[in-house]
Amino acid sequence: MSFSTYITDQAGLRKFYEALVNTMETYAPVEKFGRYDFKKVATVDECDPDSPIAATQSIKPLYFPRSAKVMKYTATSAGTEVSETDGDPLAVKRAVIGVKHCDARGLQVLDKVYNWDYIDTDYQQRRLNTILVSARCDRAGTHCFCTSLDYDVENLDAADIAIVNGGDGKIYLSARTQKGEDLMKSGVAGHLSGVTDGSEAAPMKKQFEDFSASFRLKMDYAEVNGNLSKIFDSPEFENVSANCVSCNTCAFICPTCHCFKISDEKIRDTGVRYKSYDSCNNGYFTLMAGGHNPRPVKYRRWRQRAMHKFVYYKERFGENLCVGCGKCTIACPVNISIFEVVNQVALAPVEE
Amino acid sequence: MDYTNQIREIATKLFAEGKIDVFVGYRTTGFDGNQVPVLINGPGEADRLVFTDQSVFNLVNYLKHEHTRRKRVGLVVKGCDSRSLNLLLTEGQVKRENLYVVGIACEGVVDEKGEKLQNCTECVVPDPVVADVVLTPAGIRAGTPAPAVPKPYNVNPDVEKLLALPLAERTEYFEEIFESCIRCNACRHSCPLCYCAKCCIDQETATLYHGANTTSSAFHALVTWSLHLAGRCVDCRNCEKACPRGLPLHLLHKQNEQVIYRNFQEHLAGVVEGDRGAFYKYSLRDPDDFIM
Repeated sequence: MSFSTYITDQAGLRKFYEALVNTMETYAPVEKFGRYDFKKVATVDECDPDSPIAATQSIKPLYFPRSAKVMKYTATSAGTEVSETDGDPLAVKRAVIGVKHCDARGLQVLDKVYNWDYIDTDYQQRRLNTILVSARCDRAGTHCFCTSLDYDVENLDAADIAIVNGGDGKIYLSARTQKGEDLMKSGVAGHLSGVTDGSEAAPMKKQFEDFSASFRLKMDYAEVNGNLSKIFDSPEFENVSANCVSCNTCAFICPTCHCFKISDEKIRDTGVRYKSYDSCNNGYFTLMAGGHNPRPVKYRRWRQRAMHKFVYYKERFGENLCVGCGKCTIACPVNISIFEVVNQVALAPVEE
Repeated sequence: MDYTNQIREIATKLFAEGKIDVFVGYRTTGFDGNQVPVLINGPGEADRLVFTDQSVFNLVNYLKHEHTRRKRVGLVVKGCDSRSLNLLLTEGQVKRENLYVVGIACEGVVDEKGEKLQNCTECVVPDPVVADVVLTPAGIRAGTPAPAVPKPYNVNPDVEKLLALPLAERTEYFEEIFESCIRCNACRHSCPLCYCAKCCIDQETATLYHGANTTSSAFHALVTWSLHLAGRCVDCRNCEKACPRGLPLHLLHKQNEQVIYRNFQEHLAGVVEGDRGAFYKYSLRDPDDFIM
């Protein structure tokens, strides 16, 4: 089934964004302290939909909040009462603009785990109610390698509405899902003209080719997957992780990391239970109540991170738990590159 | 400021003489002149080391890591780094005899745009206070046994501007900072002086510091952390450079430093060997007219 494509220019795109902001709750990258985070905006002027990927947080917190209230409780000697939390209205229809396709792709990867043995209904609800408007970049960033992973960057099927710069001031907006198609038909795209003669195909293909050619980093993910799965005991893990400072930044920034911890904010008898981000690079991550820690040293934690992303998740769900956005490398205090790590380990000569 | 060759020579010699097990320095990542810390384990890797004005990270941070524990370590320090090293020595965290310290007579380091960092323009002790050798533009000299003489103290314009604001506006500004914090703790982990085996802000069962990412938990974590570092912080700004949200953390630390400088007999952390920091001293000359 094919969906419709529209042609416009910068001014028309802005008008489309304005129409979106006026119709529904819209989230977009808002600048603060030189970095961008997805926030609810009232006008398009507040945000920068073309924010640089390097300085932008992922959209993961809109689906899997940095801290979500799980429940409220009152515990006294008379007994314990548990109640639902208020806030986070899941049923509100919303749109996200200014998304890069790697971020959108991150959600596709997360869907697998959230639809697995336990169905996370909150995540599903947020996913269902959100329209994702994502753009393909014109040039790759320093640490980007999205085209090297198992995602069809040309097809852009992770977004509901994909935006591609067609050159010569032309911009193509194409619906990629039924949700996106319905939105485009609903009036927000009233000022745009549809393309019916297939003339969008050639410029969109050219944009993709130019984009693919701009990558500094390229790898063969199948080779990395295959090699990594055989070298759990590689001494190379120790070398690549030596300068890690064991903070949580990479996982908190990552569009696909999904580990969490549970903590309570309790005052006297009443409390709120939170589900917040956690990271396997942190020394406490696997610390057990009895004091034993199966991953007491850095290389074991980094091995878990690399293996989970490129071996375990791939084996279980058929996809890499990495979208090649390079956000972790930029955010890392010492710029450890996941690309460099997995390549260095996977391609190191194995001693027989 | 380029001491790449000298550092490679020194590291090779130290490994050859069997004086060290690991050397902590900088390497380039191969693009944009970006440099990251590197730990090398033998003379064969010495040619990876570099040092230019883009060698920013404070390497003293690595002395608390498992790779350097119970080992003889060579490391490169700039002026501010050496002050934090001085504090670790005083606080008994590292043994001087296990270290070979290559000091740099620092002329200031730069950011990605090539501009000198703000803390470098305000630096009061650019020469290393602890070092076995010091690399200077005039050549290599022996480490400084004489106490360092700080340059005239500079107040920070951002802090001054903030202090001039009415309390309500100041509170609002800090609330914005705490709201943007994602509690990744990159600041704490990048700090050379944070070495507690269990940090107070990691107590997940504590009422104030529970691990959730809320404005109030960020407030308690960041303020407690900055007060723990008050009188010890050497303004290397590893924390600020590590922050993925670009938070101006120096507004917390530098403000403490200025208050301490004014009220604690012009105290500067880590400059004098054996000095335990402003809050660990008792002096009859203390004016005793303010509470931190």
